[in-house]
Amino acid sequence: MSDLASLVPILLGGFKTTLAIFGLTLLFSIPLGLLVAVLKMSRFRIVRYPVSFYISVMRGTPLLLQIVAIYFGSYYLGEYSGLDISFDRFPAVIAAFSVNYAAYFAEIFRGGIQSISKGQYEAAYMLGLTKPQTFFRIILPQVVKRVLPASANEVITLVKDTSLAQVIAVTELFALAKKQQAAYASIYPLFVAGVFYYVANLLLSLLFAYAERKLNYYK
Amino acid sequence: MDMQSEKQPILKVAHVKKSFGRNQVLKDISFDLNAGEVLSIIGPSGSGKSTLLRCITQLETLDSGFVSVNGKDMILAGQTKNGMAKYAQASVLREIRLSTGLVFQNFNLFPHLTVLQNITIAPIRVLGMDRPAARSLGLELLSQMGLENKAKAYPCELSGGQQQRVSIARALALQPKVLFFDEPTSALDPELTGEILKVIKSLAEKKMTMVIVTHEMAFARDVADKVLFMDQGVVVEQGTPEFVFGQSENERLQTFLARFSG
Repeated sequence: MSDLASLVPILLGGFKTTLAIFGLTLLFSIPLGLLVAVLKMSRFRIVRYPVSFYISVMRGTPLLLQIVAIYFGSYYLGEYSGLDISFDRFPAVIAAFSVNYAAYFAEIFRGGIQSISKGQYEAAYMLGLTKPQTFFRIILPQVVKRVLPASANEVITLVKDTSLAQVIAVTELFALAKKQQAAYASIYPLFVAGVFYYVANLLLSLLFAYAERKLNYYK
Repeated sequence: MDMQSEKQPILKVAHVKKSFGRNQVLKDISFDLNAGEVLSIIGPSGSGKSTLLRCITQLETLDSGFVSVNGKDMILAGQTKNGMAKYAQASVLREIRLSTGLVFQNFNLFPHLTVLQNITIAPIRVLGMDRPAARSLGLELLSQMGLENKAKAYPCELSGGQQQRVSIARALALQPKVLFFDEPTSALDPELTGEILKVIKSLAEKKMTMVIVTHEMAFARDVADKVLFMDQGVVVEQGTPEFVFGQSENERLQTFLARFSG
């Protein structure tokens, strides 16, 4: 048990990094995802096509590769061009996670926005509501309700994906647990790390279930 | 009611044409409506009735022709742009839109807002009315519709007939000069259509100017001052209900009406 007493504070240090990656990624990827969703529905091909390409690359290649590409890619690009565009490790992780998750969120939001009937727009138009009023007061609140279950999936996956940050030596929870595994010569630290992930996701699931219940006041 | 609207029609529609691709749905439609009158538009499915309504309410753009509402021209007469009718400037179009209300076949209430919020959102957000005033206006309209105890309910908690009455109240909240109905009872169970027809009738008694696209023939005859029969994108017959339902010997009209009496 003395093992556990010393292990938990160490792992908590890594868990802070995990939470930082998680929180910052959501902070950037959700608004970015909404923007990408709106751009993907643009009337103009010149807007739509590049956005589709971006989404297909983000979804079609491993996040692991994207993290490496942004970190080392920006470094070498900076070397060649002489511009200061290289990322530090942690910001590189946040950048990679944000653009990756924005692509997934964008597709979820787009589905939600397109599922709202044309009649809602027409009713708002006939009442004289402006386009921003229609989007923010009529459409978006209904979209939030519809995209909540699919977004919960993404958010929970994100908690586990944070462990990929170790590929460029950001010491989050999983990286620290692996170090302890070597020090203790036991898989016990990995097991404790697993409990951390599980409890975090359990809390998130409860939170989302609560939010869904809250939004159940209308059909 | 001012002098002007007494003298000239509140709604003028002249030579309206509209195509979807190669399919011409409206072929030269013209009619006038005076303030306080009710016009029923009847005709088989696909005759262009709903498209006509959607063109007048600006949900669709027409190809050519002229429309004016309450003395304001929606279309600039005699001017074209790439062979299409030229619309008035945006501010005029918006003014016209605010002077027309539309009741949809499928209600299109906002499901995330309460009944009262559905009615007050436009007065508050569009007209800038303060909340207490909008609230009392909303409650008054609801009691007119016999729904005073449903203010806090959500649309999903109401029957179809109740939802349609809320959507009528919502349209009335902007105090429109002309109120349009696009098959207001078609999405309702037969036993619920009566309550909607009753509401429309009471509006007619209050001299609300209305244009009603409907399949309820008895109602169309009963409530209207003028009836317009459309078939395949043209106005085949128009006139008083007595004329259209009684005296006209037009063959297409006869065939159409026979399907309802049989």
